[in-house]
Amino acid sequence: MRLNTILGKTILWIFLLTVAFITLIPVVITILGSFKTNAELTAGATFLPKSWHFSNYAEAWSQANFSRYTLNSLIVSLATVAGTLLVSSMAAYVVDRMDFAGKKWYIGLQSFTMFVAVGAVVLRPQFDLMVKLHLHSSLWGVILILISAHASIFFILASFMKGIPRELDEAALIDGCSPGRTFWRIILPLLGPGLGVGALFTFRGAWNEYLLPLVFTMTKPELQTLTVGLANLKYGISAASQTHYMMAGACLSILPILVAYLFANKSFMQMTAGSLKG
Amino acid sequence: MNKTKHALFSYSFIFPSALLTLVLGIYPIAWAFRYMFYDYKGFGTARFTGLANFSRILKDTQFWDSVVNTFVYAGGKLLITIPLALLLAAILNRGLRGRQLLRGIFFMPTVISTAVMAVVFFTIFNSYNGILNQFLIRSGLSDSGVDWLGPKYAMLTVILVAAWGAVGNYMLLFLAGLQNIPEDVYEASSLDGAGKIQQFRYITLPMLGPVMQMVIMLAIITALKGYESIMVLTEGGPVGKTEVMFLYLYKLFFPVGGGSAAVQVQEFGYGSAVAFVSAVIVGMISLIYFYASRRMNQTD
Repeated sequence: MRLNTILGKTILWIFLLTVAFITLIPVVITILGSFKTNAELTAGATFLPKSWHFSNYAEAWSQANFSRYTLNSLIVSLATVAGTLLVSSMAAYVVDRMDFAGKKWYIGLQSFTMFVAVGAVVLRPQFDLMVKLHLHSSLWGVILILISAHASIFFILASFMKGIPRELDEAALIDGCSPGRTFWRIILPLLGPGLGVGALFTFRGAWNEYLLPLVFTMTKPELQTLTVGLANLKYGISAASQTHYMMAGACLSILPILVAYLFANKSFMQMTAGSLKG
Repeated sequence: MNKTKHALFSYSFIFPSALLTLVLGIYPIAWAFRYMFYDYKGFGTARFTGLANFSRILKDTQFWDSVVNTFVYAGGKLLITIPLALLLAAILNRGLRGRQLLRGIFFMPTVISTAVMAVVFFTIFNSYNGILNQFLIRSGLSDSGVDWLGPKYAMLTVILVAAWGAVGNYMLLFLAGLQNIPEDVYEASSLDGAGKIQQFRYITLPMLGPVMQMVIMLAIITALKGYESIMVLTEGGPVGKTEVMFLYLYKLFFPVGGGSAAVQVQEFGYGSAVAFVSAVIVGMISLIYFYASRRMNQTD
């Protein structure tokens, strides 16, 4: 019996460590690769860099225009997070707390957009709309489209809203607080955890979005986001591909989202549990 | 507050959300489905052609090849992802030293953009100087390396990369589901002498049923519609071996992909019809799965 459990534990840990190894190895290769020269990478002869070229980061940052890409990515992600949270928390508030004609239609609309997706097909009409609004060669088009896809965040926030006692806003109303004021002063602060989780999800989605910025920056490379700029480096700005810059850039692009995950880890775990139960 | 004011307030709060959804969510879908009866290249006038696009689909071997590829890709991805995610979740759900760290590690690929990681995987898998082949040759496991992105193995490579990026996500969803199973059920069963494997078979699996049904449904839909990582990794090649439904669809609308020089004609009318057929295929598979899994639950 004793021997059995020791054997079982060993097998368990071998299994876990193997999976962890396979999961981490591409990341480790990327990190190590980001310190090599392009020649060393192309030859592929080494695992550890022969000498550590920390300058790759500085070079990628300036030469391959990563400062610009990062700024673009940050603008898109932060604006999308702000817009998504604002739009969906307002909607979640009235759907959960008020009664009005057409409420069922609105909920149906949001469910429909969540389940019926036809892939890249919608990109063209979305692009046409942005041309009409003169937003097709700016990042605002991308941001607006990303905000429009807020159905899942709306449902998450609505389920969090149910957890805030109605007595609170009823008391506020009786005290002469308008519903708008109640929303800003009482509901939003109490919605903190839900908003945090929604922010992480939205940030992750916007930061990693590839197709939208790709299509919207085809004529304006200076508007490219990190994901688009990185994928393009595969083919090389000049003739040869600049793999070392690409890897340094990949590491840089992982960093913000990893930091966000580490900070949000706790609420993240609780949220997924809650959303399934709901 | 009177009723009109109340309603006005509600509409003003829901207006931004409803407007954005209608204009940028619903209208584009309607737009696409309208053109499926037209010959439209994206410029000039659209010519009504009735069902011509659909009869063209029937004869379009490239499309049907991509449908077959989609099933291979989705099937392969699910076969790796679901059991592995379930196993990891079951192990990491209960007391185990370092489980927070392990969860973080397994979840990490899901926060990294597939587009970015696909680029990194290209440097690992490319046959000429890829890291994997270098390793295989140097360690004497292979003489000339394996043509990972060649016609024979490209699909396998693409599936492995997709599974790498997806396991963590489903592990997290399973973990969330597992938290609904009360701990005392396990305690009672171990008092009755049930081992870990028996507990997994007779408690975890059945009690996870409803969550699993939903998670697998989600995984099926995502796998059938996935194409971003393939686009970056192989662009559907070589010779269409990794061309999947939604990538084929994408190329009809945006023929100039990534860095490839091939400029084709944009096919909005035909593309819309393909989009419709693809959506129907995904819908049908989902329905079949939905009914099959419900039946399974009933007979259990």
